[in-house]
Amino acid sequence: MAFISSGYNPEKPMENRITDIGPQHFTEFLQPVIKKNFGKWLYHEILEPGILKHVAESGDAVYTVRCGTARLMTVSHIREICDIADEWCDGYLRFTTRNNIEFMLEDEGKAKDLKKFLNSQKFPAGSLKFPVGGTGAGVTNIVHTQGWVHCHTPATDASGTVKATMDAVFDQFTDMKLPAPVRISMACCLNMCGAVHCSDIAILGIHRKPPIIDHKYLDNLCEIPLAVAACPTGAVRPSKVEVDGETYKTVAIKEERCMFCGNCYTMCPSLPLADKEGDGIALMVGGKVSNRMSKPAFSKVVVPFIPNNPPRWPEMTDVITRILNAYSEGANKYERLGDWATRIGWERFFEVCDLEFTEHLIDDFRDPAYYTWRQTTQFKW
Amino acid sequence: MAKHKTPLLDQLESGPWPSFVSDIKQEAESRAKNEKGLDYQIPADCPEDLLGVLELSFSDGETHWKHGGIVGVFGYGGGVIGRYCDQPEQFPGVAHFHTIRVAQPAGKFYTTKFLRDICDLWELRGSGLTNMHGATGDIVLLGTQTPQLEEIFFELTHNLNNDLGGSGSNLRTPAACMGKSRCEYACYDSQELCYNLTQEYQDELHRPAFPYKFKFKFDACPNGCVAAIARSDLSFLGTWRDNIRVDQEAVAAYVGGEIAPNAGAHAGRDWGKFDIVKEVVDLCPSKAISYEDGKLAINDKECVRCMHCINTMPRALRIGEDTGCSILCGAKAPILDGPQMGSLLVPFIEVNKDDDYQAIKDVVEGVWDWWMEEGKNRERIGETMKRLGFAALAKAAGVPIDARQVQEPRHNPYIFWKAEEVEGGWERSIDDFRKRHQR
Amino acid sequence: MPLDVEEAKKTILDFCESKSKSKSKFYFNDFTKLFPEAKAREVKKILTALVNEEKIVFWSSGSTTMYGLAGAGKQAAAEGE
Repeated sequence: MAFISSGYNPEKPMENRITDIGPQHFTEFLQPVIKKNFGKWLYHEILEPGILKHVAESGDAVYTVRCGTARLMTVSHIREICDIADEWCDGYLRFTTRNNIEFMLEDEGKAKDLKKFLNSQKFPAGSLKFPVGGTGAGVTNIVHTQGWVHCHTPATDASGTVKATMDAVFDQFTDMKLPAPVRISMACCLNMCGAVHCSDIAILGIHRKPPIIDHKYLDNLCEIPLAVAACPTGAVRPSKVEVDGETYKTVAIKEERCMFCGNCYTMCPSLPLADKEGDGIALMVGGKVSNRMSKPAFSKVVVPFIPNNPPRWPEMTDVITRILNAYSEGANKYERLGDWATRIGWERFFEVCDLEFTEHLIDDFRDPAYYTWRQTTQFKW
Repeated sequence: MAKHKTPLLDQLESGPWPSFVSDIKQEAESRAKNEKGLDYQIPADCPEDLLGVLELSFSDGETHWKHGGIVGVFGYGGGVIGRYCDQPEQFPGVAHFHTIRVAQPAGKFYTTKFLRDICDLWELRGSGLTNMHGATGDIVLLGTQTPQLEEIFFELTHNLNNDLGGSGSNLRTPAACMGKSRCEYACYDSQELCYNLTQEYQDELHRPAFPYKFKFKFDACPNGCVAAIARSDLSFLGTWRDNIRVDQEAVAAYVGGEIAPNAGAHAGRDWGKFDIVKEVVDLCPSKAISYEDGKLAINDKECVRCMHCINTMPRALRIGEDTGCSILCGAKAPILDGPQMGSLLVPFIEVNKDDDYQAIKDVVEGVWDWWMEEGKNRERIGETMKRLGFAALAKAAGVPIDARQVQEPRHNPYIFWKAEEVEGGWERSIDDFRKRHQR
Repeated sequence: MPLDVEEAKKTILDFCESKSKSKSKFYFNDFTKLFPEAKAREVKKILTALVNEEKIVFWSSGSTTMYGLAGAGKQAAAEGE
């Protein structure tokens, strides 16, 4: 390999340097029909799963074909997406917040043809490349984090759990049979860089063992004050330890205070906490961000722990499917998962979903806990 | 022939949902063939090694990544996350495998030209693996080595006219819904406001000086497609102050079954004939709607703009015309004290491009100055608010106190009155007191 | 009173040196404390200048960013970069 210079001169980093330019203005990327009718849209309808029609005051209509993707994608795949956009949409496309792709066309017939085409594209091993769906009252694509693909504190994998889940609920992606939209999100540790705390269903990786302390190396690799300061519960303190007759500067951990967040490991690589038996998944349900009818709501933990069982996490997908089925049968039209559970009562939720309620599901963390306990005699048998 | 055996990952190639494993394998194959004769600037087989290390995690249930500190481009404190594999001998292609965040255009509309340019750059100088997109909204380029960072930045800025995104204790890359581009619910131009603030605050985005991360998200209506209210330190949610526009003919068409309710979102199941009373009137959270003699009436003074009636009958009902946005502050994920939703700071503010959004910038800068002064290290503004009180935030932001800012008044009477609020102040003479009361 | 740029730079570098035995990375507000009279934005300008002079470098955990003297610290060597 020969190093190919871009023109950057390492001797003079400031020479010809361009900084602080941000992204390009979005109007550079709008296709003509979108640009022309910007701010002048009248209404929309979902013609069939995965196809939206937007009508503007001018009478123009744009047909959007939405398809799911794995958000972890390669340049080969992106180029294939570009080929499709070049052929069908004059070289324009967009991504949604939830990792779907939207192709926009001005002809309804062509949009339907494109849907057929997209649904026929497969990887050699059989999975679909561009399944069309993700609209209306159904499950749309999962937003997620890096997991074992690229992160230092995950308690599970992200791409794998997402693939397993989407396979299990695939019919809900391509149909619109549920009472309301169901947003599933995935974060691989409780720092939640994917912020899954307001999702209808949240898949969350959790650790259950405190960090192991690499006493002999800690002081060489880490700055002890930073490791101490990183702990949100104040469980880490400076300490000295004797190993093989030598005294090492290190830290001590009050293990009963550990909330298994991994923040100390972020600051100090000598405090790893990943563990095959300790790590797994918690499931949370009933959150939402929309203001429609009810207020935005947080997700609640309904399964405290499911062991990691790669590659397909069957125990996890089984619970998710059970929750979705119970919701689908029990909820009213327009009712989000959390609103349904609140209406029937959470005690009933555990019953109809056939889930065990255990002490780990009663909040015991600081002030907010009290507001989740029941201060009334109103409950259901 | 695959470099590593991946029997567990191979099981993720079946099933209908797009398989990231199949995709990475196709990239590995493409790099092995190298039909374009590229001089790959990082190991050509890094996708194979990525699959290898991932397979190892699938079998031993533990991650094999370390993160690390001093990588980045010159002068920037964010945009690059250092990553190292903890089995470098086994997987040399991914031994050093840093992430680059690239600022995405507002609303994530693209031309294929731009995406192809990104692909060309990333195929040559990186792994060819990406996330479209990261959770905050950036284009995430997954895996390159340190010597390539400046080269990538140089080509990105010079040839693609695009900058890196944020990471660390910075303003993170702001994100917007598609807004007016293709949505009739947009109460303001979320993309333009997002772009404008992104440009205005480039220094805050690239050079960290905050106690912790800070996110802006822009949702053009209360439906909240980018989840601003849950995920951003300052969320800008579109709203309006006047009346919902009603087209009675279209209402009749919904009632008559000529138009499917909720834009057809429930078409996959037979929910029976549309019942406007049951599905709209009765579900209005503030009971502001009535339907009599074939006419829909909305008592707009009682409307809380939840969007349900509009979502259900988009051809009959439209948002008002006196539009702007609400600003909410302090949303964050649970670490540490529990999750927080944004709290309503500014009930309504005009989104005025003509004065360069000055009113909004005044609020933003007031909030930042206060947080930079009062916030502890690694404390999100939502936590600073909780510690010091909502009123302190409102004061710092220069926002008037308003009953709309609370769900209900306080439950305790522990009001920390200040001397200047009390008639006569706090200075009192014990001698005067003793004239009225014996010891 | 605006800060004297050269003097402020020296104050920052001296502060980092003086702490170098116990730590090499500092939060932004460690520096604002050195200049109680100055606005945070002014202090930031000084730090940016020191970064551009290659005397101070950023250190990022991904979620948090800190500042430190160029070449100091333990992790740099450990990563073999």
